[in-house]
Amino acid sequence: MTDLVQASPGTARLPRFTGWLLLAPLAVWLIAFVVAPALILVVYSFSERDELGRVVFTFTLENYRRAADPVYLAVFGRSVAYAAITTAICAVLAYPVAWTLARTRAPWRGRLLLLVMIPFWTSFLIRTYAWITILKSEGLLNGLLLYTHTIAAPLELLYTPGAVVLGLVYAYLPFMILPIYGSAEKLDPALIEAAHDLGCGPWQSFARVVLPLTRPGLAAGVMMVFVPAIGMFAISDLMGGARVPLIGNVIQDQFVGQARDKPFGAALAVIFMALFALLYWLWQRRTEGRVA
Amino acid sequence: MPTVVRLLTLALVAAISPAPRAAESLNLFAWSEYVPQAVIDGFSQETGIKVNYATYASGEEMLSKLLTGGAAYDLIQPPDYIAEAMIRNKLLRPLDRARLPNLRHLAPEFLALPHDPASAYTVPYMIGTVGIVVNTERVKEPIRGYRDLFQKKYSNRIVVVNDNREIVSWALVTLGLSQNDITRASLAKARPLIAEWLKLVKVFDSDSPKTPLLNGDVDLGVVWSGEAAKLIKGNKKFAYVLPAEGYHSFVDLLAIPATAKNPAAAHRFLDYVLRPEVSKLISDEFPYTNPNLAARKLLSPEQLANPASYPPLGKLDTFRDIGKAAADIDKLMTDLKTAAAK
Amino acid sequence: MKRLSSHQVFCTFLRGWTALVLAFLWGPIAVLAVYSFNTSRLNILWEGFTLRWYAEVWGHAPLMAAARNSLVIAGITTIASVVLGTAGAWLLHRYRFRGARAVRTLVGVPVLMPEIVMGASLLVLFAALAMPLGFATVVIAHVTFCFPFVLLAVQARLAGLDPGLEEAALDLGATPLRAFWLVIVPCLRPAIVAGALLAFTLSMDEVIVTYFTASPEATTLPLRIFGLAKVGLNPMLNALSVLFIAATIAVVVISERLQKTPRPPAA
Repeated sequence: MTDLVQASPGTARLPRFTGWLLLAPLAVWLIAFVVAPALILVVYSFSERDELGRVVFTFTLENYRRAADPVYLAVFGRSVAYAAITTAICAVLAYPVAWTLARTRAPWRGRLLLLVMIPFWTSFLIRTYAWITILKSEGLLNGLLLYTHTIAAPLELLYTPGAVVLGLVYAYLPFMILPIYGSAEKLDPALIEAAHDLGCGPWQSFARVVLPLTRPGLAAGVMMVFVPAIGMFAISDLMGGARVPLIGNVIQDQFVGQARDKPFGAALAVIFMALFALLYWLWQRRTEGRVA
Repeated sequence: MPTVVRLLTLALVAAISPAPRAAESLNLFAWSEYVPQAVIDGFSQETGIKVNYATYASGEEMLSKLLTGGAAYDLIQPPDYIAEAMIRNKLLRPLDRARLPNLRHLAPEFLALPHDPASAYTVPYMIGTVGIVVNTERVKEPIRGYRDLFQKKYSNRIVVVNDNREIVSWALVTLGLSQNDITRASLAKARPLIAEWLKLVKVFDSDSPKTPLLNGDVDLGVVWSGEAAKLIKGNKKFAYVLPAEGYHSFVDLLAIPATAKNPAAAHRFLDYVLRPEVSKLISDEFPYTNPNLAARKLLSPEQLANPASYPPLGKLDTFRDIGKAAADIDKLMTDLKTAAAK
Repeated sequence: MKRLSSHQVFCTFLRGWTALVLAFLWGPIAVLAVYSFNTSRLNILWEGFTLRWYAEVWGHAPLMAAARNSLVIAGITTIASVVLGTAGAWLLHRYRFRGARAVRTLVGVPVLMPEIVMGASLLVLFAALAMPLGFATVVIAHVTFCFPFVLLAVQARLAGLDPGLEEAALDLGATPLRAFWLVIVPCLRPAIVAGALLAFTLSMDEVIVTYFTASPEATTLPLRIFGLAKVGLNPMLNALSVLFIAATIAVVVISERLQKTPRPPAA
C-alpha cells in the first residue's frame, strides 16, 4: 500500500513555505527539548565529577572506558533479554485483543478501549503492590492453590525472574494493544471476506492477511514496549527483590544514588541511546528501501 | 472520541479552581513522608505559613536536585555524611540559635558529632541503627551477628537494605576493619565475603524492608531500626539484634540550605518540630531513637521498651563522607550482584 | 458448514482471549479494591471491614491537591501531544524533505531515553535557561515524552492510508489545511484516540521525569503516592485508586447517557 505513496508523484513533494511553517513547532520542540538535553548528556559523558557529585567539564574518555567493562556489558545484555521476552509475550497477548477491539462496533469499542486503559490510571506503585499481595508466599494465589490442594507447600513466586517478567508484561501490555488496534481498525472487512472466499479459514486469514497488514502497528508497539522496558528498573526492584542489577538500576544509581557519578551514568545512557538510535535508523532505511 | 474529549474537559475544569494562595510559604524538602502530615498541618494552623512538602528517596537524590537549582528549598533533611560534605562546601546556612529555644531539649550525645562538630548547621531529627531482625518462630538458632546470619542454611531467607555502602560496611566490620575505611585495598579484602553474602540474599529493599518479613517471604533481615521497631510493635515474634561484629548509627538532620528564600520560616519550623509534644507525634509514626529528651518523657513505656527504637547505644559511630570512593563501591557491588545472580 | 463452525471457534477464541487479558489487567485492581476496605493498616491479612481509609483520603488535603495537579497536567499534556504528534506524523508522511529520517529518529529519542536521564538532563536545561520549576516545566517534560507515542501510533495508521483521499479533496478545491482537517483527521481518528489514551496514561502515572522537573507547588499525584507508599503500603492509597477508577467510570457512563438522551430511539 505504501507503494502508492511513492507511485503518485503529487503527494510526496518538498514542503513549501506552509509546509515548513507547519513543521516548525515539531522542529523547535525537538531541538529545544530533545536535542539540547541529549547534547548536555553527551557533554556530561566526557566530563568528571567533583566531591559532591557536581559535573566538572573536562575532556576525558574514562567514562566510556569504564562502560566497556564486561560487568556493565553483562548488565546490558540481561536488560535486553528481559525486554525481549516481555515484548514477545506482550505481542502474543495483545494481537487477539487488538483484533477483537478493531472488529467491535461503536459503543462497545470505546468501552472496551477504556476497560483496557483504566487500570493504568492508578499509580504504577499501587498496582505493583497489588501484585505483591497476590504473589507473596502467604499471598492470595498460594492461599488459593493450598486451599484447593493443588500444591502442598507455598510456591516461591515473588522475587523471581518470572515475577519480574510478569510485572513488565503487566506494565507495558496496553502499549502493545493500542498501536496494533490503531492499525488493525482500518483493515477493510472485504479483505478478510476475500481471503475467506479464496478458501482461507479464519485462522489462516488471520495469519496471512491480518498479521502482515498490521505490521506497522506491531512495529510501533515493539518500539513502545521493547525500548522503554530495557531502561525500566522499578519493577525489577519491587518484584525481583533488586537482586539483578539492570542497566536502568546502574544509570539510576549514578544520577541519584550513592555513586554520585553523573558523567559515568551519562556515558552509559549515551551508549544505550546511540545503539538504539542506530538500529532504528537502519530499520527505517530498510523499510524505505523495501518500498522504493 | 467524545468520551475522551469529555474526560479531558473534566481535567481542565479542575484547573479553573485554583487553590487560594497563602501569604507566606515554606518549601520543605524531606525524605518521603518522614515528616507526619499532622505536624505539617499543626504548624500551618498555628503560623499561617503554608508548607510545600517535596520528597526524595535518597540523600544523593536531594543533593543532586539542590545543586542543579531551579527550585528553592527552605528546609532540608540530609543524612549525616551528606551534611558533612555540604558544610565543607558552604552549602548550608549557619543556624540562628537564639531563634531555637527548644534546642535545650536535645540530649547532648546527639550533638557536636563529627559531621558538624560545633552543631552550627544541623539539628538532629531522628537517630537510627542498622541491625538484624529475626523471625524467632522460624529461626530457632541464636543470631548474634553477621557471621551467624549469613550462613548457607539461611540462603534465600534474608532481606537486606538495598544500600551498597551499608553492605560493604558490614563486611568491613566483620573483617575487623573500620566502616569508613573505603580504599581499594580494603574493598579487595571485603570482596570475597560480600560475594558469599550476596548469594544468600533473597530481597534487597531500602524503602520498606519490613514488607517481605511481614509477608513471610523471608525470615531474617538487616534493616533500619525504625523498620524493625514497627515489626516488633506489631508482632512479638520478631527480635532485633545489634550485630556483635560492630554496628553504626545514622543521624537524620534538619538543616537550612544557603540558598533558602525564607530562613525565618525555616527557623520557626525547626523550633516547632523540637517542641516535646510535636516531637512525640514524629516518634509515634517513626519509631527511631528520638534525641529529644523532653519528648521521650511523653512516650508510652511500651514505646520506650522497644529494643529497636532504644537499643543500648554506646558512643555513636556514624558514616563519614567518602567522596569519589563511592564509585568503587558501586562498581564492586554491581559486579558482585551480577555474578551472584547467575 | 465446516467453515462456519471454524469461524465460530475463531470468534469464541478471540472473545475468550480478550476476556482473559482483561481479567489479567483488572485482577490486581480487584485485589486492591477489596483491600481498601480492610481494617488492617499493614494490609497483610484481611481483618475486617471499614470505610476509614476513604474518610482519610477525603481529609488528606495534599493528596487532593496533587490529584488536581495531575489531572490538569495530564489534560494539557494530552492535548498538546495530540496536536504535535498528529501534525508531525502527517507532515513526515506527506512531505519528502532532507533530514526527514533525522527528524524521525529524533522523535524516537524520548521513547528510548531512560526516564532518569531525561529528567536529569531536562533539569539541567531548565536551570541553564533560568526557567523556574513549576507547572510549565512539568508540562513541557511530559509533552516531550508523550507526543512521540501519539506520533508513532498515527504514523502506523498513515502507513496504509489511501493517498487518493487527499488528492480528491484537493481536486474538489479544498486547501491542504482543510483537506487535512476534513478528510485526513477523521480517517486517523482511531489512532489519534489510541495515542491520546497513551499520552494521558503516561502523563497520569509518570514519576521520575516529574520528580526532576516539578517544584513543591506542582507536585503530582504519583509523586505523592510514591512518597506515601515508599514507607510501606498504605490502605488509603488503595481507597484513592478505587475512588479514581469509580469517578472515571461514572464520567464515562454519565457522558454516554447525556449523549443518548436527545437522540430518537435507535431501533
